[in-house]
Amino acid sequence: MNEIFNANPTIYTKSKRSLRKSPFETGQSLWVDDIEQQDWSDASNVEPIDQDEVFDLIRSIADPEHPNSLEELRVVSAEQIDIGNNLITVEFTPTVPHCGMSTLIGLSIRVRLMRCLPPRFKVDIRVKPGSHQSELAVNKQLNDKERVAAALENPALLETLEKCLATAGSQE
Amino acid sequence: MNLRVPLCKGRVSISCGDVGHVGTIWNSEIDLISSTPMEGLERHIRSWFASEKAAEIEHVISALSSGECSLLDIVKALGEYLTSEEDTLRTKGVQFLSLVIEGYPKEKLNRQAVHVLATFYCTKLEDTETITPALRGLSHLVKCPALASSDVPDLLSAMFTHVKMRALVQTTRFFVFNTIDSLLKSHSDDLKAMGDQFVAGYAALASGEKDPRNLTVAFAIARVILTEFDISKHVEDYFDITFCYFPITFRPPPNDPYGISADDLKSSLLPCLSATPAFGRLGVPLFLEKLTAGSPVTKRDTLRAMSLCLPVYGPSVAREFGPKLWSALKLEIFQPVDPATDKASLDTLQVFVRVLQSNPIVTDEGQSNDMDDLVRTVCVDCLEAIGEPEKPQAKAGMKILCSFLTIAQDLSSYAVAQAADKLVTIFHDPMEVSNRPSVITLLTDLLNSLAPPEDPPTPDKPVVTESGSTPLLQDLLAPSKDAVLGLLIVGLKAPTTRVPSLHGLAALIRIPSAVTKDELGYIVLEVSEFVGKEPDEAEDVTSDVLSLLSSIAILAPQHLASQVLPPLFLALPDRAPLRDAHSQRTEYWRALSSLSQLCAHPELFETFVIRLTTKLDLLRSPLPTTLANPPPADIPDAKEMEPAAAYAHAILTALANTLSAKVSKSRPDADVPKYINTLLPHLFRLCLEAAVANDERVFADIRLLRVVARIIRLVIEASPTASQNKFFSGLDSAYLGGQVKSITGGEFAFLSEEFKPMDAGASTRQRNTVLLYAAAHVPMKRDVSLDAIRLSRRLADLITWCSSDNCTPSQREAASHVLASLVNKRADDIPEFLDYLLDNYWSNVVYNRTISVGDRRNAVALWASITRALLVRSHPSAMVLTDKLFILIDDGDDVGWEAAHALGMLATRDEVLTKRNHAILKILYAQKYLDAVLPRILEAAQAVTGSRREAAYLVALASVLNAVPKALYLSQMPKLMPLLIRGLGLEDPALRVDIINILTNTVDAASDEKSSLTTYASALVLVMLKNSMVAEMPDSRVRIAALKYLALLPGVIRYDILHPYKVQVLKDLGKVLDDPRRAVRKEAVDARTKWYRYTG
Repeated sequence: MNEIFNANPTIYTKSKRSLRKSPFETGQSLWVDDIEQQDWSDASNVEPIDQDEVFDLIRSIADPEHPNSLEELRVVSAEQIDIGNNLITVEFTPTVPHCGMSTLIGLSIRVRLMRCLPPRFKVDIRVKPGSHQSELAVNKQLNDKERVAAALENPALLETLEKCLATAGSQE
Repeated sequence: MNLRVPLCKGRVSISCGDVGHVGTIWNSEIDLISSTPMEGLERHIRSWFASEKAAEIEHVISALSSGECSLLDIVKALGEYLTSEEDTLRTKGVQFLSLVIEGYPKEKLNRQAVHVLATFYCTKLEDTETITPALRGLSHLVKCPALASSDVPDLLSAMFTHVKMRALVQTTRFFVFNTIDSLLKSHSDDLKAMGDQFVAGYAALASGEKDPRNLTVAFAIARVILTEFDISKHVEDYFDITFCYFPITFRPPPNDPYGISADDLKSSLLPCLSATPAFGRLGVPLFLEKLTAGSPVTKRDTLRAMSLCLPVYGPSVAREFGPKLWSALKLEIFQPVDPATDKASLDTLQVFVRVLQSNPIVTDEGQSNDMDDLVRTVCVDCLEAIGEPEKPQAKAGMKILCSFLTIAQDLSSYAVAQAADKLVTIFHDPMEVSNRPSVITLLTDLLNSLAPPEDPPTPDKPVVTESGSTPLLQDLLAPSKDAVLGLLIVGLKAPTTRVPSLHGLAALIRIPSAVTKDELGYIVLEVSEFVGKEPDEAEDVTSDVLSLLSSIAILAPQHLASQVLPPLFLALPDRAPLRDAHSQRTEYWRALSSLSQLCAHPELFETFVIRLTTKLDLLRSPLPTTLANPPPADIPDAKEMEPAAAYAHAILTALANTLSAKVSKSRPDADVPKYINTLLPHLFRLCLEAAVANDERVFADIRLLRVVARIIRLVIEASPTASQNKFFSGLDSAYLGGQVKSITGGEFAFLSEEFKPMDAGASTRQRNTVLLYAAAHVPMKRDVSLDAIRLSRRLADLITWCSSDNCTPSQREAASHVLASLVNKRADDIPEFLDYLLDNYWSNVVYNRTISVGDRRNAVALWASITRALLVRSHPSAMVLTDKLFILIDDGDDVGWEAAHALGMLATRDEVLTKRNHAILKILYAQKYLDAVLPRILEAAQAVTGSRREAAYLVALASVLNAVPKALYLSQMPKLMPLLIRGLGLEDPALRVDIINILTNTVDAASDEKSSLTTYASALVLVMLKNSMVAEMPDSRVRIAALKYLALLPGVIRYDILHPYKVQVLKDLGKVLDDPRRAVRKEAVDARTKWYRYTG
């Protein structure tokens, strides 16, 4: 942790509102504030897990190097998440191609999603193609179950991970 | 030993010998001696020596006060003890005398007696056995007004000679400090006359004191000596007995009986530190040392002390240590530990600069202004930091410069000019393009500090005059304003600098008269191009653009009216877009929301209202009705109508939002009331015509009626009583008398049927318009004139109207609003109505088991809202009506649960009975209510019978507790806990939500009573897990509440208690992560994360 890989990263503003659009904005409703009295026990109205929801889970994870969230550094974005049938692919962009923290960032995304998504999903985590010099190695490491499990056995690593995840889910 | 005896006798003989020339009082006491039996006195003394009972002392004091005996008698009676060879007897003897003095009214002691006693006590100071009681006696004796100046030096020198503080316990030392404190108050001149003897003596006495109780007094004494006495020869001594305590790190012990906090000590020490300039050369190095080495708390204490001391120590000291002070403060500000320390450092720096600038030394004659050299160094350092705008230090540097603006004219004009120049230069440097956002942000900080802190200036409140500094501040910018304005406009062009520039412009226009009207027009022109932009291109700027423009709207509405508003109005189509034209709908809504935000200014709002009502008129009928093409005979069905209704709804919503902003201000806009005569009749006409039309109309849609109702509420709320009187008389004759034109401004097209919404047979559409009627009544003023005699009849009719079979829930809600508002505001006018409720309505409807349960449920709801209207004003009938609800619960009635929920509703805040709506609200009504009902509910709920009645009481308990502040029942939680857990097993989602909310609210407050929570923790975990599964609990509100509660437990329960459940909780919550509802999943994620982190 002595070496700072990117000492002066660009910090982007977080999107202020929640990304979720109202039924009016998505064109589902004609009415600007369509707050119908909901039937709380209505089982038919299923809201499937989508891009935005997965992004909400990981956007506020802290960067291991900086006091900023992954969203502020544009390491993750909603567009880089793909949801198929029980398969989620998350792509992330390291801030610099030689970033040695990439595996740690990937690992923190993996642990967060392991804890927050239903077990039926298989999660693939990759760095954005061309954004990292050892792309293949990182991808391989992140999607190898054994190696992830082994990493989580390491108390020092786990502590660093928990530090990154401490801010996850917080909405400032 | 030998010495004492003759001295003591001498004292007695002196007092006797002095009798002749002391005066009548002493004489009369002497007379009394002969007549008073000494036996009684001696008995009391003997008895006190044996028992030490305070009562004996009181007897003696009262005898003394009433004149039955004299001090001399007491001394005589004590004689043998005072001179006893036995240590304990001697101690007690003096102690007795001191206690008597303590209790005896001080003003009754005469000069002679005080002198004798003082001399006596001074001799007793030499004796280690009697020093404590003697000091005690002295500390009270010196409070006597009769203490002679001549006694003071002797007394003090005796003290300085014989009192060895280190050998005495705290209470005794406390007497010493108290004695000196009293003397300082009453004999300050005598002490001054003692000169060095006193000053040095006290310093020796106070040195080494450690007890906080004594120190509080000691600090007060030191402060007086330092400010009023000549301490020039003893500066170091006094420095030692004050600065050695700084910074105060004292922490009171737990359950501290004396209640002295560190803050008390700090606030009494600080005045000592800043008492004299003489401390300057000694104090500042100490401060600097503490500042560099200390913890954040110490740093803040030091900074606070420096802020106080520097002005006292003066410019020469500040200058002597200037460079060191600046570098220490610079470190604190440029690399702040925490915001509070940062703020404190800034304050101190400001004081420091103020001190220097009060007596500036200027070496360089070439400078045009007289800025102190050191201050100039500070400014140059800050400007240097600003030279690298992307670094955090630049922000700190700017903060420092901004804090200087109020100090001195020369300084602030230098700072502003230099900083602005520097930033403008960097901005235009092609090498620094990437730093432009930071440059603009820094500039914005500067502009913000130039703007007055309060709300943006309004035209009716001119910009100047407020304080002397305001006109000065705005002039500061004058030389660089053009460059700054140009820079900000350039900044608008690039996406990265757009938002900062908008903020900068917003700050610039807040500076009074900094920009001319023409320049405002220029700003509007440049900014307006972002108003109508697609959100994809300029997503983040819309809100900033709008807030900038709406602040310009206050200063110069004409620029908006001519440049910004026309395109927005043009974006509103005359006809509603078709159902599938989603993008057009988004477009009109964007235009409407922008307009809604921009048009709050009275002038603009008027245009806004006119333009929007014109659009509404066009939407009245769904199809284009040109004379050439009459509408087809078959009326368009409701589906075709929906887009038009949605468009009208959007327009009305925009209108309502603006009105709400105007009315909710702390000083509501004055133009709103006039719309009671224009806008409201217009809207009534649109809605009421639609209600009586024989075809489907846009304005018959209940969603539109709801927004119109909101507008009516807002306008009535803002209107004065006179116009309300007129309005309500029109409203009543329209709704109750069929004179519909009296509320529609005289115009009304009768399309098919009469307007009779209150009739039993009225159509649903007509009945729906009661929503508008109700909306007007909710904010009605109390003194609006209504026909009091017929009021009871009207209310009863309204109840009958509600019990009609075709009454919809919204209509019933509207009616209950009218009932609640009128009953609350006119309870004294309607005794007949209350009688009707309790007799007729109660027995025929509410308590009549022959009518349907559904109708009775509705009746209970109405009953509850009327009861609440009475309850909040503490009307005597409220409890009578409440009792009836208990009857329903007690009977195990079909509507028992509704009645139970109603008990909770009675204490729940609502939107109708509020201060804003002029309802009569008595304070503490909720507490009184709770005191009345909670014992009844508790008693009934505790009887475990499994009956319907008991369950209903659990419902009542949960809903009442959920409605009142937790402080009211927190103490009873151990008793309530089993009941609440039992309630969680009942099949009523609303009940479960209530209970989980109660548990959630009390979970953190239970810290003292964790035991009660700990006992049930494991049961709670299991029951909450069950309630969070979609398979077990279909109601998502319960699932959310249960998950929230689960997330709280790790924070309040010791890990070892819940350790056995961790694996199960994580496993079960894993399933909940797949809940069909997004809101539930979110809570599950939160709870699961908390449980992952929950470790021992």
